[in-house]
Amino acid sequence: MILLLSLFTIFNFHSQKAIVKNAWLRPAGKGMNSALYFDITNNSGKADTLFGVSSNTAKVIQIHESYMKNGMMGMREVKYVVVKPRSTFSFKEGGYHVMLILLKKTLKPGLKETFFLHIKHERDIKINAVVKKN
Amino acid sequence: MISKNYFSNSIIRKTVSILPLVLFITILWNGCAKKLPDGKNISNNNYVLLNQDSTKVNFPHDYNGKILVATFIYTNCPDICPMTTHNMQLVQQQIKSEGIKGVQFAAISFDPQRDTPSILKEYASIRDIDLSNFNFLSGTKKNIASLIHEFDFLAIPGDTTTSGKNRIYFFTHTDKIFLIDQNGIIRNEYRGSHVNRDKLISDIKSLED
Ligand SMILES: [Cu+2]
Repeated sequence: MILLLSLFTIFNFHSQKAIVKNAWLRPAGKGMNSALYFDITNNSGKADTLFGVSSNTAKVIQIHESYMKNGMMGMREVKYVVVKPRSTFSFKEGGYHVMLILLKKTLKPGLKETFFLHIKHERDIKINAVVKKN
Repeated sequence: MISKNYFSNSIIRKTVSILPLVLFITILWNGCAKKLPDGKNISNNNYVLLNQDSTKVNFPHDYNGKILVATFIYTNCPDICPMTTHNMQLVQQQIKSEGIKGVQFAAISFDPQRDTPSILKEYASIRDIDLSNFNFLSGTKKNIASLIHEFDFLAIPGDTTTSGKNRIYFFTHTDKIFLIDQNGIIRNEYRGSHVNRDKLISDIKSLED
């Protein structure tokens, strides 16, 4: 019991050096696409890499980047993003977003959904994102 | 000979000296009048489209006599088109709060095969958009293709990839909002996702009767 407790304590106190804030989602209907945005801060002394996101919210989830070319807007998949030491990387409108393709449910404003961020040097980060009005 | 030379020189000198004044007045005049230049007239052709309630809309003839703020979107766009749609909604709300009448809004889908009226309806209602003067329009593939061409708007389907059995597709597209006057003439255009809303609203006001 003591062993179990101490194991639990060690596990629980493993300090997470990456922190995620301001997570939000676009509203969208079932079967449509949405986007997840957030700020991820790396408080450690070495660069880290976000290389994937998983969730039950959508059938396909990819890290995307919106870009402008010849006055036109497009987007493309990126395999990972690097979060520099002691800095924040923002997934924000018109830039990087986590693309949620073929939603399994309708995302109505106010709803909260859970996501797991896969990071190279740390355990997965569990986040809750709220659906905004726009 | 000498006097003639002197005469022409003095004219040149006088002309040169008043040139800055003329220029200044011209700039001042244009600045005060704030008249938006005429762009393309898009009312030569008419397109029968369907709005979010499957009601027929003659575009642009049904908008004759109204100021129209128009854009092109596809509802599977997760990032850019929602920003443009939100900008349209914010302008619509501001116009309403200032009591400005006679302004209509239209978002036309350039992905008509997927964006049926019911999909467009859901897209609008999930965003709580006031549909009293805002239409989400769709049409036949052929109609939409020639309509967007008329606006010099480009929407290029990207490579359709698959993830398992799921088909994934996107468009690379122009990012614009158009301001069309009561006679169907484009008077200004703006970057849709990053429009200066105050500028658009002041342009709308300059077109009021
Ligand atoms: Cu995307």
